[in-house]
Amino acid sequence: MSALTAPRKRVLTERRQHHLEVVGEPQKRHTLLFALMIIAVLGGAVFGTVTLNALAAAHAVQARALDTQVGEAERVYAQLVADVAALEDPARIRAAALDLGLVPGGPGRHVHLDRNLPADGAVTELDNGRRAADPLKPVLSVER
Amino acid sequence: MTGQPRRLRLLVPTRVRRSAREVGTRRIRWLLLVYGLVFLVMFGQLIMVQVVQGPEYADRSVRQRARIVDLPATRGRIYDRDGDVLATSVQAATVYADPRAYRPSQTPDGDHLPAAGDSRATAEALAPLLGVEAGDLRERLERDAHFVYLGRQLDWELGEQIRELGLPGVGILGEPRRVYPAGGLAAQIVGFTGIDGEGLQGLEAQFDAVLQGRPGMLAFEQAATGGLGIASGTRELEPSEPGTDVVLTLDRDIQFAAQQAAADAVAVNEAASASVVVLDVTTFEVLGMATAPSFDPSQRGQSDPGTWRNRAVTDVFEPGSTQKALTVAAAIEEGLVSADTITDSRASIEAGGKTFRDQHPFPGDRWTTGDIVERSSNVGTIEMAKQLGDDRLYHYLREFGYGAPTGVGFPGESSGLLMKPSDWWGTSLPTISIGQGVAVTLMQLASSYATLANDGVAITPRIVRGTVGEDGRLTPTASTGERRVVSSDTAAQVRSMLERAITGEHGTGSRAVVSGYSVAGKTGTARKPNPDTRGYSGEYVATFVGFAPVESPEIVVAVMVDEPQADFYGGTVAAPVFSEVMGAALSARRVVPDGGSRGLDEAMDAARLAGAEAAGMVDRPPGVRGPAEPRR
Repeated sequence: MSALTAPRKRVLTERRQHHLEVVGEPQKRHTLLFALMIIAVLGGAVFGTVTLNALAAAHAVQARALDTQVGEAERVYAQLVADVAALEDPARIRAAALDLGLVPGGPGRHVHLDRNLPADGAVTELDNGRRAADPLKPVLSVER
Repeated sequence: MTGQPRRLRLLVPTRVRRSAREVGTRRIRWLLLVYGLVFLVMFGQLIMVQVVQGPEYADRSVRQRARIVDLPATRGRIYDRDGDVLATSVQAATVYADPRAYRPSQTPDGDHLPAAGDSRATAEALAPLLGVEAGDLRERLERDAHFVYLGRQLDWELGEQIRELGLPGVGILGEPRRVYPAGGLAAQIVGFTGIDGEGLQGLEAQFDAVLQGRPGMLAFEQAATGGLGIASGTRELEPSEPGTDVVLTLDRDIQFAAQQAAADAVAVNEAASASVVVLDVTTFEVLGMATAPSFDPSQRGQSDPGTWRNRAVTDVFEPGSTQKALTVAAAIEEGLVSADTITDSRASIEAGGKTFRDQHPFPGDRWTTGDIVERSSNVGTIEMAKQLGDDRLYHYLREFGYGAPTGVGFPGESSGLLMKPSDWWGTSLPTISIGQGVAVTLMQLASSYATLANDGVAITPRIVRGTVGEDGRLTPTASTGERRVVSSDTAAQVRSMLERAITGEHGTGSRAVVSGYSVAGKTGTARKPNPDTRGYSGEYVATFVGFAPVESPEIVVAVMVDEPQADFYGGTVAAPVFSEVMGAALSARRVVPDGGSRGLDEAMDAARLAGAEAAGMVDRPPGVRGPAEPRR
């Protein structure tokens, strides 16, 4: 172990000797400039902080106004949903219809088309060349 | 003496010099001591403030600037099957006051402060707006309290109007209010909430946990004097979760028709109540469930609490002759009879030591099972029940849903009353087979007939179609299992016999016809048990239950009229209600007419003709059927 540590000490001593050099006069420090710079940085930081805070406050005001608008819109929407449902109340519609002089309808009837319309693939000419009845005037039946 | 002045002279300059140094040093030491003491005091105070009282001050600071706002959850809506709103919540205005504004007070310095407002003037200004006596308002304003309600859940516009008055100590709070836009439509089913939004009745109570959602919280910092929140302060938002919407299986138009018909039945027959149940045959979904008299949930304070009950599922009654279809179905399923089985007719039958007879004895010597159902014969039905025996009859009734809640999902559903065969006595078998000594809810009765209409397969009825979460998607209610009660063939045979009960010459339900549609069903008339004695009272329950169209049933309607006064037969009291509701339901569900049975007018004409014929005034022309006799 000791045989290993001895050469390292010599190397260190040599290095120190190599780094010795003549040093000039200490560099002149501009204290005033340094102070001004510090003041500027601090001032900028304060200004930035105040500005950001002011911006945040301004946006908080906007956010609050938007929250109020959203809340009001939601309130109006809920009220409109309830109003529409009330207007659709079957009892109200029935009463309104009776006020208008309408009478309750009879039993329901369904209409069945005995012949398809052109949109359903109906043709105007039969296979034997004779002209079919006008498909646009289908025969209506209520027999069912 | 001479030595003293010299010594003094010598000593004085030295002492002066020493004194100056010592004094300076001493002063510095004193100053340091003072500084040290001040520092110690400050340090001690610092320890006291930061360590000993630190948590308290920190807590006080938080209390002064922290604000926590509760964010109430919006209660879910209740829709009908088509998305029409049956119950929803709107923002309402609650008016409160701080009574301290209406009495003199003292500042912390002991200065007297006059009252900020005049309670009399405020009360008189608010009374006409709130609809409350001014004296009552003044009493509230002069209470020894910090907060009193002056009016809760008022219209928002009214709250705004009151806010603009700028009354001292009076404020407005936003508060959700439950509204039922359709008024009394499905009132007993939907139920209602309390003033604080908690479900109290009906599905509002049943699904309260689902509907109410989860309230949230907003925590932020604010100056102690109020105003806007501190923008750079901490802000913690836990948004509220709105309640889940509940979609019912009800059809608003069918529900209205059922309610209207039930209310008319009560009025026309001077009945105590009437209930109607409308079921979809293929799904057993409840399309309508009405009870009259009803109430308006928005004004429930002025209604009789007895009207809040959904009698269709909570009240039981003896089904009477409507029960006979189930007894016949059991006999057919067991192979004892078929629709065309011909047997010797009997005028009476002995069972359990008692003789049972028909009100209108069968005129011929032989009858078919169809004749028994058409004529609603007690004797024929009891004969089949005797062949079935106690256990098999009980088994089939349980399979049809008697003696247990249907599981429709409504709170307070009754099981009905069906004793076990071991508890039956001698007359239980014959009486139960014709619908006496057994009690069912109208929902059970409708479900049992829906089973016959659904080719013998029973499904658990349901009234909630599903829920709608925040994503707007419908999550259907879990489908329940099906069970076969009777075979398809048995169900078809019973259906054809039930059609005869309406269209047959001696059918009891001719007033149940629906123009354009074939209809099958059964009337029932039962005396009500006397709660004070073991016998029956003089009151009746008239019922009718049936379905349409017969070949491919789509709708089942069950009607129960309780204590009708003018008339009490199911065929004359309940059947017309059935006809009206069934017609509306078939139309609302767009069921294609199948031609149907003869119309009511035709049936009435035939009845008049037969009456005249019986009186010997005219001869019956060929092809015209006789009248329908009302029968139990």
